Amino acid sequence: MKLIQFASITKKIALASFGLFLLLFLPVHLGINLCLLREDGGEWYRNASHFMGTNYIVKVFEIVLMACVLLHIVVAILLTIENFMARPVRYKVKTKTKTPFMSRYMIWTGGIVACFLVLHFINFYFVKLDIVEGKYSASIEKVDKIFQEKAMKLQSGELNEKDQAALMAQYQAISQITPEKMDNSKKNMVNLTKEEVETYCGKDFKHAEPDFYTMSQELFAKKSYSFIYILVFLALGFHLYHAINSLAQTFGLSHKKYSPVIEWVSVIYAVVVPIGFAIIPLWIMLAK
Amino acid sequence: MDFTLKIWRQENRKAKGRFETYKISNISPDCSFLEMLDILNESLVNKLSHPVCFDNDCREGICGMCGMYINGHPHGPDKGVTTCQLYMRKFTDGETITIEPWRARPFPIIRDLIVDRTALDKIIQEGGYVSATTGGVPDGNAILISKHKADEAMDSASCIGCGACVAACKNASAMLFVSAKVSQLALLPQGKPEAAIRVQNMVAKMDDLGFGNCTNTYACEAECPKQIKRSNIARMNREFICAKVGSEESTKR
Repeated sequence: MKLIQFASITKKIALASFGLFLLLFLPVHLGINLCLLREDGGEWYRNASHFMGTNYIVKVFEIVLMACVLLHIVVAILLTIENFMARPVRYKVKTKTKTPFMSRYMIWTGGIVACFLVLHFINFYFVKLDIVEGKYSASIEKVDKIFQEKAMKLQSGELNEKDQAALMAQYQAISQITPEKMDNSKKNMVNLTKEEVETYCGKDFKHAEPDFYTMSQELFAKKSYSFIYILVFLALGFHLYHAINSLAQTFGLSHKKYSPVIEWVSVIYAVVVPIGFAIIPLWIMLAK
Repeated sequence: MDFTLKIWRQENRKAKGRFETYKISNISPDCSFLEMLDILNESLVNKLSHPVCFDNDCREGICGMCGMYINGHPHGPDKGVTTCQLYMRKFTDGETITIEPWRARPFPIIRDLIVDRTALDKIIQEGGYVSATTGGVPDGNAILISKHKADEAMDSASCIGCGACVAACKNASAMLFVSAKVSQLALLPQGKPEAAIRVQNMVAKMDDLGFGNCTNTYACEAECPKQIKRSNIARMNREFICAKVGSEESTKR
């Protein structure tokens, strides 16, 4: 029975292609995450986040990435249902055929990663989309520019009483700002709640960015979160190992000379990438 | 040797099946699995009950007729053999042996351990052949084929179509069978003229019949009595992509 009306091989290739894009995105994400290991108060990490959040080419890729995540999950679930229905009566004796462990549980390891993605989106991505409230940062240069403009208006008497009071309050607040609300370079205000953004930057300030550095530090400070994080990347490692081998097979890349190379690449990739991610909460825990 | 047999009994396609337990004793270790079932059936007939129905023909491992799911393995625990070539010495004395028919949506049960494998024939009918050409007999050396290619094609052609790959696959996928049939012709010059349409037609038929999708678990390769390799599946995927992208011929469906 077919839930998606395409040839089985076409469906496999589609699933593999969406997966391939996710696979290639992982090292990019890892690269940014590894900036957390630098003890620079999050300068590199915030710069990278700023680039990923504002660059137009990245924004296009963001849409492609989200589409790939969604399609990879949906197609995988539909194919699993199709496959389950291909054997309406199951065997009484469970199979004793020796097959690679990772290949049998792709939907489960994938499911674990997908569940974590939901949590990850709530913690980070939805803050960016302004669905969930998080912590924010603001460039002092931009705040200052808007403040100066308003000050000019104040001098020429264009501001009404309410705005004048707001501007004075903002001046008071900024002059009393504490050092933990500033980053090391003193160029950005960080660790701001939504109310603090209004207090320090003015009500109509539109350039506040999510402060992913503070949010990630807060999350990794929780031992339970770090533990889940490490377990998820273990599952991802299993998923990746079969993913790369399987991808090659699905694209028809099987060759006496090159297949062993692909096998090695999949092992290295499946070990290095998850360890790269998992090392961050471990490092933060040990540093404390 | 003595065994306890748990065998799936089912009157016909629609009847509700059940497991029946039989005790069998004094079996020679050199007895084949099918001979053991013959002995069981003889005793059943003597007791005026219906014998256990199972498929078999050549009993020398080349016809692909026999096939049972024995203790969690298609064709039993031995490597690279069909059920008829499985000997009782591969089991331990006193062991309980569970025998089930192939389970897959496209393989409906006819009776007991016999399943209808017409689905595999239907896939072959869609293109698992080379169209006959007429004319004079061509010279033996007119078409050159490398030894390597000829060997590969021969390996693929050794598939006997028993359906163990489908039975072993957790998704009841027939990819190993179809890929072997596609490969044996795709590798040889004689198969080239119809290659693009063949792979598309055979895959389309396989999907229509209700086989599952391959998830590259390779249980098929592990259980194939003719040790057909997984590289055949990769070759079929390659053939399919090339046919879809590079050929104007497509399945009329």
